[in-house]
Amino acid sequence: MYGSQFDGSAAFSGGGFMPSQATQAPDSSFSPSKNRDIQSLLPLTVKQINEAFLSSEDKSNFTIDGVDVNNVTLVGMVCNRTGRVTDVTFILDDGTGRVECNKWVQESVDSNEVEGILDGMYVRVHGHLKGFLGKRSLNVFSIRPVSDFNEIASHFIDCIYVHIYNTRLRKPQGGVTTQPQIANSSSTPLKGYQAAPPNQFSGQHNVDGQKSIEQMVLDFLQLPSSNVDEKGVHCNVIANQLRVSADKLMLAIQNLVEEGLIYSTTDDFHFKSTING
Amino acid sequence: MDTSNPAVFVNAELLRLYVGRRVRAVIQVLRSDGGVVMGKSTDENQIVVKGSPPAPLSKFVEVVGIADSEKSIIVEVWSNFGDSFDTHTYNQLCQLANGEFKHLFL
Repeated sequence: MYGSQFDGSAAFSGGGFMPSQATQAPDSSFSPSKNRDIQSLLPLTVKQINEAFLSSEDKSNFTIDGVDVNNVTLVGMVCNRTGRVTDVTFILDDGTGRVECNKWVQESVDSNEVEGILDGMYVRVHGHLKGFLGKRSLNVFSIRPVSDFNEIASHFIDCIYVHIYNTRLRKPQGGVTTQPQIANSSSTPLKGYQAAPPNQFSGQHNVDGQKSIEQMVLDFLQLPSSNVDEKGVHCNVIANQLRVSADKLMLAIQNLVEEGLIYSTTDDFHFKSTING
Repeated sequence: MDTSNPAVFVNAELLRLYVGRRVRAVIQVLRSDGGVVMGKSTDENQIVVKGSPPAPLSKFVEVVGIADSEKSIIVEVWSNFGDSFDTHTYNQLCQLANGEFKHLFL
């Protein structure tokens, strides 16, 4: 039969609208973590959006806490709703600020959704953050009224959690994340995001206020006593001194090596801090 | 985009820090007498909120307005929050939003 001889890859490889091998190549070079960052949905406050960085390479992309911002979710009150035939615009006031929102109305399901949205209502919106001529606004995909008002507190707690996650808990991905320095700089919130820490592990804490293993290892290797032997310190010695498991230690050491803060010496088990030379 | 006039999450204890500023609070309505409503804040202390409350008021009400004294708010926006509300969590949020994570809110 004709169908059995149909060769899809041959039929579609010759241009048209099908992506060729060449255009697919860049996608496959993305690391999984980079891909996840791109697809992430961030719960945010308007204040955070206002302070978001425009990442330098692409003027339409924002960065918050070192993560690329695309899709966002906010909870706030609708004001100044204006309905037109093709779209609805409104201001969302989440208490930290106000942001212009726009929802295109194409199908009846869209118009049903926006019809019930009135000024003074609390809503949850999902949308795409865009910047145009220096103005930031939300292109809303979904808007629905808040019916359980605990969702408001829940949203802001979410914002706090994701902020902690992106600034303190997320594993540094040497070179993969767009701006790792920014991701870890908010240990000094008063200085804002511009603060540049001496290294990205300083001030990196777990939620319970403990130092990260990376920081403990770095502190230990920077002790004068760790500098006595030219070969540096054996990782078993570090593990014993810091009382951490070998797996966790090796992960921390690997992260520090990738960041160029420590290096292995005569073999793969002895390490020195780059500061000690 | 405008973050010049935020409404700070407050309970009765935090309210005193923001006299003259815009605040938001959730109260449990105790007594409503015309334009003056006596309510219990999420930290269990009483505050007075003034304005033109909608009728009827539900058990829990969110008010957004200007703190005109250490214990009272002149309300611009009233929202009925229904008859069941987790005041404990909201109160914790008030503290986080005024403490370690203030920079996400103000």
